[in-house]
Amino acid sequence: MNAQDENRIKQLLKQTLPPVADGAEPERDLWPAVLRRLDADVAPRHAVPWFDWALISGLALFAISFPATIPVFLYYM
Amino acid sequence: MNNHPYLRAYLAGVFIPTLIFPVLITLLLVARLIAPDPIPVERIMIFPLAFAPVAWGLWNVFWVALRKFSNVPLGLHGAILPLLLMPMGTVLAKCLGIITLGAHSVTWFQAVEIPYWQIGCSFAFGLVMYYLVWKYIIGFVNRVLGIA
Repeated sequence: MNAQDENRIKQLLKQTLPPVADGAEPERDLWPAVLRRLDADVAPRHAVPWFDWALISGLALFAISFPATIPVFLYYM
Repeated sequence: MNNHPYLRAYLAGVFIPTLIFPVLITLLLVARLIAPDPIPVERIMIFPLAFAPVAWGLWNVFWVALRKFSNVPLGLHGAILPLLLMPMGTVLAKCLGIITLGAHSVTWFQAVEIPYWQIGCSFAFGLVMYYLVWKYIIGFVNRVLGIA
């Protein structure tokens, strides 16, 4: 790439990208949106669906109803 | 943390059996002290100590290897394990004299009597327990160790 090409690229970039004013600030605070996005990414990973809660409840009910099976379950784990 | 994924998968897999084993051995030792008949603790220990942790570790290694070809959910993958472990454990228990098959019930550890109708329910709940443990606990350990 020679100097002429570099100047041509500079001109094209200046034409394409609008100039940024000195001390320019975004129109609104972007940080709350970043936090919301982070929370949205984390929440589904830790959410337990209602179906699994039902299974956990059924398991607890079974263990309470038939406590003699608990050592047998432990044997298989 | 991109090195040795199968080793980390094995360690994540053996996490639960190594936690459960001391609880089981404590219960058995307490039962041995208070039970009128002697409980064969040494023979009972063979399956939870020698087979279960290895099976859990290798099953998690198998899941990590399987992810290259298919996207099986970890909970479902874990729920399949009792289909292998429970027959193995039962056959071993029968060979070692840990269970006694009666006309209407099975006697475990010469102390716990479970009717046959309850064994079917127990097997179904065993699958549910494995599903939940694998989905949430092994899944969590896998994430901590950078596997999932």
